[in-house]
Amino acid sequence: MKLDELTKGVFKYNPIFYLMLGLCPLLAVSTRVDNALGMSLGVLFVLVGSNVIISLFRQWIPPEVRIPCFIVVIASFVTIVDLFMHGYVPELHERLGIYIPLIVVNCIILGRVEAFASKKPVSHSLLDGIGMSIGFMLGIVAIASVREVLSTGAMTIFGYAIIPIFTETPATVMLLPPGAFLTIAIIMALINYKNIRKERK
Amino acid sequence: MESVKRIVRISIPLILICIVSGATLTVSNDMTKGRIEEVEERKINGSLSIVFPGASFNKMDDYYSAMINGEEMGYAFVAEGSGYSGTIKTMVGMYQNGTISRIHVISQLETPGLGTQIAEPDFTNQFSGKRIEDIRLRRDGGLIDSITGATISSRAITEIVRTRAEEVMNETR
Repeated sequence: MKLDELTKGVFKYNPIFYLMLGLCPLLAVSTRVDNALGMSLGVLFVLVGSNVIISLFRQWIPPEVRIPCFIVVIASFVTIVDLFMHGYVPELHERLGIYIPLIVVNCIILGRVEAFASKKPVSHSLLDGIGMSIGFMLGIVAIASVREVLSTGAMTIFGYAIIPIFTETPATVMLLPPGAFLTIAIIMALINYKNIRKERK
Repeated sequence: MESVKRIVRISIPLILICIVSGATLTVSNDMTKGRIEEVEERKINGSLSIVFPGASFNKMDDYYSAMINGEEMGYAFVAEGSGYSGTIKTMVGMYQNGTISRIHVISQLETPGLGTQIAEPDFTNQFSGKRIEDIRLRRDGGLIDSITGATISSRAITEIVRTRAEEVMNETR
């Protein structure tokens, strides 16, 4: 069933909570929801683009040099994203800073290209790319929402106050790396708790 | 002979991929080059008019001379250096007598919520009206209060501004 390729990335094999890939940008960029959304769009473009191109040429890529080939394709897509973001959404580009170039080494992308797109037809790879990106977005936005609300006491997405005021005394620690680890740990614990209970039944 | 064939079989696809991506990148670079320059220029121009409101600027070697009503008021220049993480880039306005008019942080990558406070008016307003030699943290014998929890970032920007201001002072003397 083809649609499975799309939904598996969102829930069953969620890149963050199941595959545990791409944690580095996840920790760094999940301080604010708008940054998280911007990062997810970057990942979506790069992952779908690389998946489709690699899948198209999968028969011509010699297995001995497949990793260099993948990296060249991925790095090209990332550079394109970087250039266009710099020119057209400079504010977002400035806030995401070094993490755009670092999409190159985001293991979700190399991981999906190597494990999936280099073996499967184009249509499956396209759906896989979209699904994994949505899964990544769900994960990073969930973590960013918790961190933004707790660390700034409010939540503003692209200038709209979603939660005008949550607390007067926000916790700065949630902005810092420990806040990211704590949030991921708690969400993972909840997911595992649910899965274990389901298994027992 | 066999091994040469093998090398060719492996390398040709990789070379082709490199050529195609090189070409794609050249095209996208050309497409965005103009816009990126515009964006960067707008950033510089915006910060120039913040440090010397209402002035017009003449570009000199590596600073701008700020004119108000045809008279030279002072200099505006970009000061750049390493912060706690990444580069801090800031626009500085300085009167001819070596007093800072205003500073405006153009870009920085400090710790969100702590180090990023160096870009906020509460911190940057401290520089206005200070003489070059007082641009040091209080604990280093100057007149700038550091941000609690972000001493390294505070010291970095203070040093960056002072070093560059001294350079410009020497150049214009």
